[in-house]
Amino acid sequence: MLECRYITKVYGRKTAVDHVSLKIEPGRIYAMLGPNGSGKTTLMKMAVGLVKPNSGGFYYKDQPVGTESRKEVAYMSTEPYFYSWMTIQDVGKYYEDFFEDFSMEKYNQLLERMELTPDMKTKSLSSGMMAKLKIAVTMARQAKVYLLDEPLNGIDLLARDQIISSILDAVGPEVALVISSHLVDELEKIVDTAIFMKDSQLVEVCEAEELRMLQGKSIVDKYREIYGHGGEE
Amino acid sequence: MLKLMKYEFRKTMFSKMVLLVITALAEISYLIGVFFELDKFLAVGLVGLVMCAMIGIFYIGIDSLIVFHRDLNTKQSYMLFLTPKNSYQVLGAKVLENGVSIFLAGVFFAALAAIDTTIGVLHIGGIKEFLDMLDRFMISIRVDINVAPQDILMPFFAVLASWLMTVVTGYLAILLSATVLAGKKFSGFVSFIIFLVLGYISGKALDMLPSLSNHTAEFCMIIGASIVIVAIMYAVTGWIMERKLSV
Repeated sequence: MLECRYITKVYGRKTAVDHVSLKIEPGRIYAMLGPNGSGKTTLMKMAVGLVKPNSGGFYYKDQPVGTESRKEVAYMSTEPYFYSWMTIQDVGKYYEDFFEDFSMEKYNQLLERMELTPDMKTKSLSSGMMAKLKIAVTMARQAKVYLLDEPLNGIDLLARDQIISSILDAVGPEVALVISSHLVDELEKIVDTAIFMKDSQLVEVCEAEELRMLQGKSIVDKYREIYGHGGEE
Repeated sequence: MLKLMKYEFRKTMFSKMVLLVITALAEISYLIGVFFELDKFLAVGLVGLVMCAMIGIFYIGIDSLIVFHRDLNTKQSYMLFLTPKNSYQVLGAKVLENGVSIFLAGVFFAALAAIDTTIGVLHIGGIKEFLDMLDRFMISIRVDINVAPQDILMPFFAVLASWLMTVVTGYLAILLSATVLAGKKFSGFVSFIIFLVLGYISGKALDMLPSLSNHTAEFCMIIGASIVIVAIMYAVTGWIMERKLSV
């Protein structure tokens, strides 16, 4: 479905992504794990064409990613990116104008669930509210692939379940979800596959069930094993 | 494309509103000057309207360059480059919106000048009296107004076209600093030099056009050549954007 082949991105002297090859299949939920600077964000940005690779490429349905793939691949950046003059309603209208798979009805439902009101200005939102808005507008699309970069960043403990359930609503046999996060234990409960990245390289891709059954390990255990010291480097 | 243009217009709407408000104030001053024959108000109104026309049209282009720079160098770029539109459409919307804005602003100010002249003629009681009054004012600021309307309008629209050419050259320079020069020392300075060089080359290309005895035809030719240069700059900028731009 979505695939990268030997993809590399270099910024000046720093290699952000180094010869990574990966396949994302429909009907699965992926956790993209790794410490800061391991290349997760750059890899996601290359998947939607925001960042151009130095070598290798990203393909959606065997075609290089670009204008066509963006119709079916939804990306949620970790940083806020809405125009400062926009209200929450304007954000919905903008997505409705450009994405055929966007449902204003679903967007309004998600806003209600997230306790956001359409007339709020995006520039006045707190980081938690902004994170909720990004989720609402991304998940209101009926995309085939969702790439969510740190969707739980800035979200308090109580709202996390709300966010996760909004994300899981999109799951279906034809849909792939890729979630990058530092909160490994939060993702443990919901993911099928864990993608471990370290020092710009893909270290391992593990099936959660296989890991549990064959090695008797959880994703958190595997995370500790790869990165050491129980988490962040 | 129309949807992209709508949002391009929205991004620059505030500065256009400011321009409209200042123009409205200058217009009110002009009308007070005409109706109450108050030279000071007439002078302030006239100078204000001329300045609004000149600086306003200039600023519409500058504002478009500022927006383009922001669209390439801040996270707001995702709003544009996550949409299922290619670089040629994104850039095309910017060029068209800016071209249409500059042209409409030109037409608006030309129409306003025509209306104001008519009001002046009707109120003061005859074209000769009005022109005498205007002439007295122009002499006081050392400007000769004994020229035919087409001799003003055609150069005016040629200036609009060459200004659009300058703006599109600016797009290319900004894009170069965000792509092939990104992360390099003095990328801003180098792209500015590239902008000057490209501006110089475009200017030279226009200078090479033959002189015609019919001035209207000559200005039409300059407008046409400017549009061709805009199209070339657009194609080059779009090509680089599609292949090299990372936001």
